[in-house]
Amino acid sequence: MASTTSRRAAMSVAAAATAAALAIAACGKSAPGTGGNGNSQGTISPTKGLVVSTKAGTRPVSSVTWAVYRDVNSLDPIYAFDYPENTAVSLMCESLLKQSPDGSIGSGLATMTNPSPTSLVFTINKAAKFWDGHPVTPADVVYSLDRAMSSTLGGFYTLVFSRVKSIAATGSDQVTITLKQPDYWLPGELASMPGVIIEKAFATKQGKKYGTPSGSIMCTGAYKFKSFVPGVGVTAVANTNYWQPSVKPLVSQIILKGVASDTQLTSGLTTGAIQGTFTSGGLSTLPQLKAGSAVNIFNGQGWSTDAFIVSSTKGVLGDVRVRQALSMALNRQAIIANVYKGAALMPRWLSNPGVFGYGKSVFAKAYDSSPLMSYNLAKAKKLIKEAGAVGKTFTIGTSQQIANIAAVTGAYQAAADAIGLKTVLHNVSAQNFINFFIDPKARAGVDGFLTVNYGDYADPAALLSTLVVPGASQNYDNFDDKQILNWLETARSTADPNARAALVAKAEERAATILPWIPNVQPENLLIMSKNLTGATASFAYMFAPWANQLGGS
Amino acid sequence: MLAASLLVASFVIFGALFLAPGNPVAALSGGRSLPASSLRVLEARYHLNQPFFAQYWYWLSNALHGNLGISITLRENVSTLIASRIWTTAGLVLYAAVIILIIGIGMGVIAGLRPGFTDTSVLVTSAISAAIPSFVAAIILIALFAVKLRWFPALGNGSDLVSNIRHFTLPAFALALSSLAIVARVTRSAIREEADREHVQTATSRGIPRRQLVRRHILRNAAIPITTVSGITIASLIAVAAVVETAFSLNGLGAYLVASAQDKDLAVVQGISLVLVTAFVVINVAVDLAYAVLDPRVSLGSRAQ
Repeated sequence: MASTTSRRAAMSVAAAATAAALAIAACGKSAPGTGGNGNSQGTISPTKGLVVSTKAGTRPVSSVTWAVYRDVNSLDPIYAFDYPENTAVSLMCESLLKQSPDGSIGSGLATMTNPSPTSLVFTINKAAKFWDGHPVTPADVVYSLDRAMSSTLGGFYTLVFSRVKSIAATGSDQVTITLKQPDYWLPGELASMPGVIIEKAFATKQGKKYGTPSGSIMCTGAYKFKSFVPGVGVTAVANTNYWQPSVKPLVSQIILKGVASDTQLTSGLTTGAIQGTFTSGGLSTLPQLKAGSAVNIFNGQGWSTDAFIVSSTKGVLGDVRVRQALSMALNRQAIIANVYKGAALMPRWLSNPGVFGYGKSVFAKAYDSSPLMSYNLAKAKKLIKEAGAVGKTFTIGTSQQIANIAAVTGAYQAAADAIGLKTVLHNVSAQNFINFFIDPKARAGVDGFLTVNYGDYADPAALLSTLVVPGASQNYDNFDDKQILNWLETARSTADPNARAALVAKAEERAATILPWIPNVQPENLLIMSKNLTGATASFAYMFAPWANQLGGS
Repeated sequence: MLAASLLVASFVIFGALFLAPGNPVAALSGGRSLPASSLRVLEARYHLNQPFFAQYWYWLSNALHGNLGISITLRENVSTLIASRIWTTAGLVLYAAVIILIIGIGMGVIAGLRPGFTDTSVLVTSAISAAIPSFVAAIILIALFAVKLRWFPALGNGSDLVSNIRHFTLPAFALALSSLAIVARVTRSAIREEADREHVQTATSRGIPRRQLVRRHILRNAAIPITTVSGITIASLIAVAAVVETAFSLNGLGAYLVASAQDKDLAVVQGISLVLVTAFVVINVAVDLAYAVLDPRVSLGSRAQ
């Protein structure tokens, strides 16, 4: 339910990584007390100054090349999980429900009602039709959801259907999902990749070829599939018969192209070979792009969190005071400046405040009253002494080949050093970094490692639940806090959005205190577009819902 | 010979990749936690749960039947994936080869025949360009000719022949630059050596026209070392192409090979390697054949009878 790797993994140069790490390490010693910006005064919006969308385009554009950080591997929603695949599928396909750029969930291809807490009824919009003109039927919906749920297809989303008892067509335009127990998190997933609806007859005919380069796809979006050539890109063209008459796609052709490095992306954007991209993983060339005149850069609301995963509580990190001390000694401002070039926020919670998709005022108020995770070396040293941890060692799993991971690792080394802890690095290749997430053997002897992580929909619980619920995908050392668990489980069964938000907020507040993971910074979602374009979604919602419906010339 | 090379290469590459870091399951699962049952289904589908020799034998027996397997990351036939990229690499290497042959040999011939300023400037130029690795050349060329002057595009393949040539010009020069210098230097010394030979001195004293002298006595004899070094450098371009393709975002086999090796996409790495090994062997055979055609002793001898 959440991303495990940092983007641009293997692309960065080790030398740059070392330089950045040194810069951060230096800052960690020389700039104490710079940790706190944005004092928590009044009721400021937690994502003040960040946008979710851009002004709709007005003029037709013949062709736009949009960069993703590597080639798209699949157009099948059940295998869409990382940035390139999500960007491609969300450009062309639509889900049962839909996430707006601000994260709120509304009707998509269908409208949802809850006749009882264990029953979700979806009424399909009568106008909804696929690119080939066929209407969206209950059979298509049942087929698509069954595919996402099936464990034999090897799709990535089977676990999100864990509370589903059955999915059945219950009328000519109606599908009912019956639940084993109430699940108010499922609608979020159905507004994301697991809820994407494809045409049954078409997909059955395609079989294993569905969504592969030699196959094709059949969806309902305002941009329809034209071609998928590995190495060249995925090409989508305007769907002039789109079922929602209010949306008129203005770009004749959008090419999603894999662009491997920050340098290439920058020269492409500068010369106009590339006209747009989304990025939230720390773009090293951001200052150059800002200084140039080719593109507009929009600071959109991010939904991802840059964090330190505490993967073992057997060692010194098992003591909550040590985790707190490490968090207080971490120079987050240096990470924001050096890794994110300013495009990230200081955290108060584990989840990025960009994910407050419902119960917004409840979340905002609770978030604002939580303390900023600011730099406090004196208090950190005191905590370490109290814990009797002075001189003790912990091991960080890292990869010096991944520039941003290496840089944040450097910041942790500096923090540990400053409070009298020792660190050992367990360094692996960029390709092997992912094994920390999926292989218990790779995690053996490692106390923690770094990640940029996000949930599938705008809810702090989407990420938090993956690391605090026993048995969840990213709960690596049986973290089990009865209070957090209780709040989250109750939230999952609570219908009222504000009441649910209040429960999730409590869980986040406690997680921010006892730190099952240590949040580092909250990345913004940068939308970088050629000056003559406008209208793309600016928030991280682009990963899950159509992002180019308003795109056009300015 | 080709078959033996291919067999050995395929085994070595398969073994190396098997031992190399990385986990194909990561590519299959997108790094996401999957239920154990789903993982078992995936591992069985790609034979990842079997021992090394079983996996190799499975791959080899299919390859012998013309089936190169399925890419794990793209869920697509490897032969289809290779076919869509082979022309990029072929075009790039060919373009670079033309640059090397025309400019490299041209520079060498001029420097060899005109001692003095021309010669010195060729030597200096070639010394500098021989020292520039292709990834540095790529960065410089992009910064100068794409970003600054906007003469050529910074990345991509282009859509038709004219735009293909425009898109491939910078990559081809980046690829050709250091090899070009080596060819120029070898050509220059070969020409020098032939020009100093006794029979050339004799021919000069007999008053044979300069043009005929250069063509028949100097170039002809110098052709063997020039062909040898050109053949070797052009064959080596196939390997270096990966760097240039990656730098310019070209969808060639080399860049794809690197990406697939990182993903541990075994079938793709094997397939591309076979194509590259084949190309290498074929170019070397072509050079051997060229010797027979070019060897002046053979052709002059037959004329003398």
